[in-house]
Amino acid sequence: MADNAGTKRVPSYCYNCVAGPDFMKVKVENGVATEIEPNFDAEQVHPARGRVCVKAYGLVQKTYNPNRVRTPMKRTNPKKGRHEDPGFVPISWDEALDLVADKLAAARAKGLIDESGLPRLAVSLGHGGTPSNYMGTFPAFLAAWGSVDYSFGSGQGVKCVHSEHLYGEFWHRAFTVAADTPHCRYNIAVGANVDVTGGPCAVIRHADARVRGYKRVQVEPHLSTTGACSAEWVPIRPKTDPAFLFALIHVLIREHGLTKLDVPFLRDRTASPYLVGPDGLYLRDPVSGKPLVWDEATAHAVPHDTPGAVPAVAGSFRVTEAVAVDADKERRVYRDVAGATAYEMLARHIEKYTPEWAEGVCDVKASTIRRIANEYLEAASIGATITIDGQVLPLRPVAVTLGKSVNNGWGAYECCWARTVLAALVGALENPGGLLGTTVRLNKTRDNRHLSVAPGEDGFMVQYFNPTSKEEWQTTPATRNLHQTLVPIVGNNGAWSQALGPTQLAWMFQGERPDDWSLPMPTLPDVWLVYRSNPSISFWDTRHLADIAAKFPFMACFAYTIDETNYMADVLLPEATDLESEQMIRVGGTKYMEQFWDYKGVALRQKAVEPQGEARDFTWIATQLAKRCGLLDKYVSAINKGVAGVAPLKGDGYDFSLAGEPSPERIWDAVCRVATLTLSEGREEHGIDWYREHGFYTVPISRLEWYLTPTLVRQGLRYELPYQERLLRAGRELGRRMHERNMNWWDKQLAEYQALPEWHDVPARWIRNLEKSGAKAADFPFWLLTTKSMQYHAGGNAAIAMMGEIAQNVRGHTGVIINAETAANLGIADGDRIEVRSHIGATYGRATLAQGVRPDTLVIIGQFDHWATPYAKDLGMPSLNTIAPMSLDLTDATGSGADIVCVAVRRVEAVAA
Amino acid sequence: MKRYAMVIDLRRCVGCQTCTAACKSANATPPGVQWRRVLDLESGEFPDVRRSFVPVACMHCANPPCEEVCPTTATKKRADGLVTIDYDICIGCANCIMACPYDARSIVHEPRYAYGSQPIASEAARADDQRIGVATKCTFCKDRIDLAERTGQVPGRDHEVTPACVNSCISGAMHFGDVLDPESNVARLLADNESFRMHEELGTAPSVHYLLDQR
Repeated sequence: MADNAGTKRVPSYCYNCVAGPDFMKVKVENGVATEIEPNFDAEQVHPARGRVCVKAYGLVQKTYNPNRVRTPMKRTNPKKGRHEDPGFVPISWDEALDLVADKLAAARAKGLIDESGLPRLAVSLGHGGTPSNYMGTFPAFLAAWGSVDYSFGSGQGVKCVHSEHLYGEFWHRAFTVAADTPHCRYNIAVGANVDVTGGPCAVIRHADARVRGYKRVQVEPHLSTTGACSAEWVPIRPKTDPAFLFALIHVLIREHGLTKLDVPFLRDRTASPYLVGPDGLYLRDPVSGKPLVWDEATAHAVPHDTPGAVPAVAGSFRVTEAVAVDADKERRVYRDVAGATAYEMLARHIEKYTPEWAEGVCDVKASTIRRIANEYLEAASIGATITIDGQVLPLRPVAVTLGKSVNNGWGAYECCWARTVLAALVGALENPGGLLGTTVRLNKTRDNRHLSVAPGEDGFMVQYFNPTSKEEWQTTPATRNLHQTLVPIVGNNGAWSQALGPTQLAWMFQGERPDDWSLPMPTLPDVWLVYRSNPSISFWDTRHLADIAAKFPFMACFAYTIDETNYMADVLLPEATDLESEQMIRVGGTKYMEQFWDYKGVALRQKAVEPQGEARDFTWIATQLAKRCGLLDKYVSAINKGVAGVAPLKGDGYDFSLAGEPSPERIWDAVCRVATLTLSEGREEHGIDWYREHGFYTVPISRLEWYLTPTLVRQGLRYELPYQERLLRAGRELGRRMHERNMNWWDKQLAEYQALPEWHDVPARWIRNLEKSGAKAADFPFWLLTTKSMQYHAGGNAAIAMMGEIAQNVRGHTGVIINAETAANLGIADGDRIEVRSHIGATYGRATLAQGVRPDTLVIIGQFDHWATPYAKDLGMPSLNTIAPMSLDLTDATGSGADIVCVAVRRVEAVAA
Repeated sequence: MKRYAMVIDLRRCVGCQTCTAACKSANATPPGVQWRRVLDLESGEFPDVRRSFVPVACMHCANPPCEEVCPTTATKKRADGLVTIDYDICIGCANCIMACPYDARSIVHEPRYAYGSQPIASEAARADDQRIGVATKCTFCKDRIDLAERTGQVPGRDHEVTPACVNSCISGAMHFGDVLDPESNVARLLADNESFRMHEELGTAPSVHYLLDQR
């Protein structure tokens, strides 16, 4: 609508999902936010040309939603539970802050750690770290506090791409993995729904690529949005993806052979030449302990880093003398021993995984698998180069990308391994056009993954596994998700190591524990703080989870509306939301998903309109809590160290250190100045008023920052592929430690530690799980999956009316997607109300009949089935989360699960009680 | 002489409904009224299935059936191609809604709000009684086109005078401009690519073109 005299446009950003941040402007008319618009000032620096996705357009209604919590509230009903009205009543900010601070102070007085060795304070934050971009200086409060347990996840492990995070970061510093879409020509997307979850940066890049003529093959049980935009859909049987990927490797290695692959890459950048002995461990030099390779120049086994050596990639060789180092550093000495190269081991391993074998597992024709493998190899254009900023690099424009529930839960190790091996075989790993990591979170520094690369053991990058040695293994878990005890690979080095532990164990073990449990009893935290997180909707077995949440002794929630989790809260604190508060964050560089830019910089989210009601800026809330907890000095010190984001407030040639009780304005002004100074290397300094006008500041970066391989070349390092000796040893050690304490409850997971992963019947694990509970598999003949929606993905916006309206335009948002023929056989018509029942419960919605879904598969979009959130609770939307069990049997070795459950479906006339 | 047209590259559209939301946001349409949306269509039978996304709105036809049936001349065709509705003389008879083969028009008879019977602040700020009881539809963001006439800016090139949906499009699918200007982006796209118009057989001569592939 036309502008009037009282109209202004306020630059800001949207970071409601990990695919952001993206730029936007808020149109404000006479003090009221009326529209969200792109920020075309950023058109040249932002890959998405200053655009935001559909979610951001809901922020106006989010601001003025009459169902918001507008004042601090306290609970008056001491009983907690789904059927207990909390009796929230408004209170003053003083009273609310005192209530929370008193509980915090009381907990602190008893000591940060309780009698079980667990933090007394637990904090749950929502989707993918995005809350950090809305909670101002609260991270500085948490840093000032000390030990905090982030175990009670809202979805990490079960809803994120968990195994990809862990293995991706291990193999190529790739917490998130993406195709180098601007250069890619062939993308096998196995469930990767990037046109929904990749944000505007991914959407425009893949659209450009389609017009350019790249081919994307979408391998997934139902035809997603991304599948719709792909050249080909391969409707694979659910959870059989490892078999498909193994068969691709088979075709490359067994049908084409080494000469057609990228031999220099395999020889110099991977451990393919490392010799493996008869016990499955590397043969090592007896003196140095370094893995041996067979030097074709001298026809001798030599340490892998021997200058001038020409390592054989394939073959088996006799080694005069060698040692192997097993778990707990047990050494075995070998003389005149046969050593096969790791590549040779792979070639033998993959021999049985033919396309014909995979056809029987995946329900995908062998000829299709073989053709896709051939197309992949041809598109890889081995030998081609590209010049980037004066540097000649290999151009390998092929990538295999993985989606949620392919890259988490059982089978994910196999998938992550296989697709990374597929990249390595053609030299596409971290080279232009190929498979890239875009950020690190389990290593430092989080803003530059290249800086996390340093020489480690055996010619590989340094790794920071949680120790499994007898001396160092953590027998008193420091967190309720046991991440250091159970998951070596998640480490304890990065900002997110703890939060990426097996979060469902934190929930599950509050109820029942295995019979042979011999660790300290898990306790509930004295205080639980929750922000932008609703695990009672976004986890699994959510009704049960809500019952657990009701048992927490004290819970304070930063609350937008009442929801299914804060329904159990003791105190609600209304924070100023997206358009009402201020915060500076980093943008650009390389970060999540396809957010790798040609620029890096910072952007300010600013107060476009006054907060509704008594909602307060989060930085003000954090400061007040710090003050009332007696932590003000530590809190300000943390801000000075840069914990609130961007950079330390004191550095070379500048000092904006804060003291006392700084106002939010003063804090962010200092951050703004430091941000500009550090980015411009001292040339420019801009305060908060400049950013309020301009919104962001960026400087160019080289595209060479997108690719890790040149960094490994510089440091003479290899990718830890294809053979997983380190994981094998770690698993063996972990098993010994568990068994020494008479615990066998993690044995299934220990079996996942394989040097070369074998196919195991992944879908059967879900069938066995329901049979174990006493149900009959025949009664639950369908697979229920879930898929994301751009309208709702990670936005916490189920209460936004406009989003509900426009989402109806996208198939499946009315309920349950079901194959049309299957539906006809069951007497179900489009729009019929249906019950989808698993062995733990039922969920209800309207049937959406489609051809683009396998006959044995049902799909429910997003995460709904609300019962407390105003507006959302009236949508009548079903949810997989309600009926997917939390189970140790369904937890993989990384502590990850997958969104899949066996179900029955039937038409119903009315909702059952 | 200008003739404004929209060109939508179907190779790019991902059906995200960002244009739907941007339109609702820019034009303050009430709940249930979408001047534009993206259709989510399926063809074929499992496993040979295609799913396609097709943005639709008022096609601003050169021969608009809606104009023919309007008893009050509220619906008119402008010289620059825009099909307009004069709310002052529309009587809400809905003839045009019946006549439009593109399902592009809406009519609401009472105010509607996102949350219950009362407007939220953003709705109250832009409440427009003129739109009650009359036919409404995509205007090609007429105010912006008119602004361009005054400022000399070029719709489709200058964002301030480009329709909100086109500005918002994250896949780069949507383009707008003067199809009579051979140098315009829309003219070039139509020259370089195969395209079609929806229900062209009806003789409506829509101003919305869909790109299929390069020639």
